[in-house]
Amino acid sequence: MRLSDERGQALIESLLLGMLLLVPLIWALGVLADLHRSALATAAAAREAGFEAANASSDATAAAAVDAAVARALIDGGIDPEQARASWAAIPRLERGAAVEVEVSYPVTVLQAPFLGRVTGPSIWVTSRHVARIDPYRSL
Amino acid sequence: MRKRRLLVPARPARAQRAQDGSALLESIFALLLLLMLVLGAIQVAFVLYARNVVAASAHEGARAAVELGRNANDARTVASEVVRSAAGGLVEQMEVAVSVQAVGDLSIVRVRVTGRLKSFGVVPVRIPVGSVATSVRREAPV
Repeated sequence: MRLSDERGQALIESLLLGMLLLVPLIWALGVLADLHRSALATAAAAREAGFEAANASSDATAAAAVDAAVARALIDGGIDPEQARASWAAIPRLERGAAVEVEVSYPVTVLQAPFLGRVTGPSIWVTSRHVARIDPYRSL
Repeated sequence: MRKRRLLVPARPARAQRAQDGSALLESIFALLLLLMLVLGAIQVAFVLYARNVVAASAHEGARAAVELGRNANDARTVASEVVRSAAGGLVEQMEVAVSVQAVGDLSIVRVRVTGRLKSFGVVPVRIPVGSVATSVRREAPV
């Protein structure tokens, strides 16, 4: 038999339990979506930077082109380029037929909420690498 | 012998019958609310996924537009195809706008992809999603 002061208690308990299960789910959704977005953005940045570096005529112009391309692609992807790390290397050196390897990394903060932004805490580094070949018949 | 009085007074039969149905009603309300919350969480996931797919499609389109022998029409085709293959019918009313700006020997291609997320129940609003991507083509010296 239910007492009169127990009316509605099952409803409240169910909702509280549901909220307790849904909050971590929403949090996980936000983190996974940010990881996905960061992976896409860093992959795009590495590809753009590799393309630019493979067309550069010197190390200095290649470095500047890589920085510009990475910043452009990350901003397009909704990511702060200040927090990203980009490195590149021409193997063996910047010349016809050589390979240019670009690596872009970005830290995804784990503690964050969707649409609300990031909260301080541990990060997962997302890294993308792209290798571009310098045209062996280019005119430089 | 003296009868001892109970602390909890006995309920009338009619009140007990009324209580029997209230538990079922409460459970139904709780389940409906939880269902709405779960569907809302699924919709949030779809919004986040669609946003990422649209961003990726804009970039793929911009990349396609600067490749040798390709143009703005290829950017539209590639961007649409990426959204179609990755998100199916999730994104509706999709539009791809391509603009090309010449700066010196550079051609700056900007692709904007916009659309609306298909509504499925909880939020009867088609949530807009969109993204812009830029790519640069260096014109070959003549």
